[in-house]
Amino acid sequence: MSSHNMIEIRGLDSHYKGRQVLFNIGFAIPHKKVTVIMGRSGCGKTTLLRHLIGLKPSESGRVFVEGQDMGSFDEKGMANYRRRIGVLFQSGALFNSLTVSQNIAVPLKVHTRLSDETIRIMSLIKLHLVGLADFLDYMPSQLSGGMRKRAGLARALAMDPEILFVDEPSSGLDPITAAGLDDLILELRETLGMTIIVVTHELESAVKIADQMVVMDRGNLLAVGTPDEIRSSQDETVLRFLRREAEEQQVNTESYLSRLLGRQYKAGENSTRRQGGVR
Amino acid sequence: MIYLVRKLGAIALDLIEGLGRMGMFFFRVIRGVGRPPGKYLSTLKQVQFIGTKSFFVIGFTAAFTGMVLGLQGYYTLSKFGSEGLLGSAVGLSLIRELGPVLTALMVTGRAGSAMCAEIGIMRIEEQIDALECMAVDPHSYLITPKLIAGLIALPLLTAFCDVLGIFGGYLIGVQLLGVSGGAFMDGLTSSVVWDDVYMGIVKSFCFAVLMIWICTYKGYYAGLDEGNFGPEEVSWATTQAVVYASISILVSDYIITSILL
Ligand SMILES: Nc1ncnc2c1ncn2[C@@H]1O[C@H](COP(=O)(O)OP(=O)(O)OP(=O)(O)O)[C@@H](O)[C@H]1O
Ligand SMILES: [Mg+2]
Repeated sequence: MSSHNMIEIRGLDSHYKGRQVLFNIGFAIPHKKVTVIMGRSGCGKTTLLRHLIGLKPSESGRVFVEGQDMGSFDEKGMANYRRRIGVLFQSGALFNSLTVSQNIAVPLKVHTRLSDETIRIMSLIKLHLVGLADFLDYMPSQLSGGMRKRAGLARALAMDPEILFVDEPSSGLDPITAAGLDDLILELRETLGMTIIVVTHELESAVKIADQMVVMDRGNLLAVGTPDEIRSSQDETVLRFLRREAEEQQVNTESYLSRLLGRQYKAGENSTRRQGGVR
Repeated sequence: MIYLVRKLGAIALDLIEGLGRMGMFFFRVIRGVGRPPGKYLSTLKQVQFIGTKSFFVIGFTAAFTGMVLGLQGYYTLSKFGSEGLLGSAVGLSLIRELGPVLTALMVTGRAGSAMCAEIGIMRIEEQIDALECMAVDPHSYLITPKLIAGLIALPLLTAFCDVLGIFGGYLIGVQLLGVSGGAFMDGLTSSVVWDDVYMGIVKSFCFAVLMIWICTYKGYYAGLDEGNFGPEEVSWATTQAVVYASISILVSDYIITSILL
């Protein structure tokens, strides 16, 4: 096992109630690099992330952290691993009974013996990073969706983690703020040497921040490589994904419409009605 | 036939698994007592939460229950010409039985359901997952303060309930029906002994544990069995929590009474 890899995934399958959603995923996440996971909605990115942070139990021999099998972690081993990671959930997952700064203070209060004043200053620094310094005492319900995401990121950074997992940081953000977050991610990698795993839909931002790109499709791994390698890929599905093309429509219109209407669709029926509507 | 056996087996296994999970849950909550962060503030907040949620309802219920006890007790006792025993009848039934049970049922309906919903929402919004990812034990962080608070608040509320109930009985018996006030108080003080108070306290501690345990457990595992996490799961969990907690309060009331009697 190469010492350059923080996390290694080998032949990972995943199921929800008997339905398989990940198929034989295998790749490595290098140390102190930004790995971007891309794929269409519902292809299993969040599920993969949940395996990597130990929220969904992995079989033994599937996920390795610095060569150690996560499947065999006991409670203590898992707790030790989790002290080293920071996670931004897709929903933000802020504690809605606490203010923004109290949210960020939670891990600091539990894991450190710092004074309240120090903790408050540290929260402020993290909020400053994500541009929310003015919203220290707001409740999560008073924030917009994008602000909640950024507050969640600030909380993920509270303990200065070695490994940072972010699930769609820029969904719901305007392009300027999103670009700011991209810069922040690169800065974290440069200055703190964080290993960062980002799930995103934005191709442009992925190419900008990724050292390694992972493309998934319906639970399968499609391609792994540097952004350049991915872009020069010959694989048809990868290319289609990059060109943002929709899947070829294999359903024919008639059967689709009869499914929608719940009965047999007769050609011509709809067109007459539409004419009537225009008039 | 084989289908039936298999079905029964599956139900039994589910039951055992559920009980085991409940046991583990309780163990983790207890273990959380000594874990950081300090729990004084969060426990106090929970005491306040339980208190403010239930204070007036309990006062109201207690006063009227006491008044009804006064009426019914007077009616029954006067048949034997022993109205003087009204004080001890009202006092004993409240302190031994009605006080702890009514308080626990009211707290379950008011604070227990709210706790279950709160934890359930944290579950479906991934807030509990977020805690775990910070290496913060959710049992210790979220549930332990609630359990300690329940153990503090329920005996206090029970005492409050007892006092108001006896006051209600006094009001009806003495002021309305003309039992002598001295006889009422004398009957009360001479018949209520430490054992009766002890029974009331034991009950309120047990009910506190049962109520908090069941309500928070139901919220914590809201939707986990079905594997989908939506608002319906939380409302379903809350309903179940109130029903199960109430039933187990009543059943354990019988058990504790039969043991201590
Ligand atoms: N709790 C769950 N129970 C059952 N199935 C689930 C659950 N969570 C996800 N799935 C299924 O797993 C598949 C992958 O879901 P996942 O959330 O990993 O997708 P995703 O790639 O993160 O999508 P998105 O980009 O929309 O967030 C989906 O088909 C989804 O239906
Ligand atoms: Mg997702």
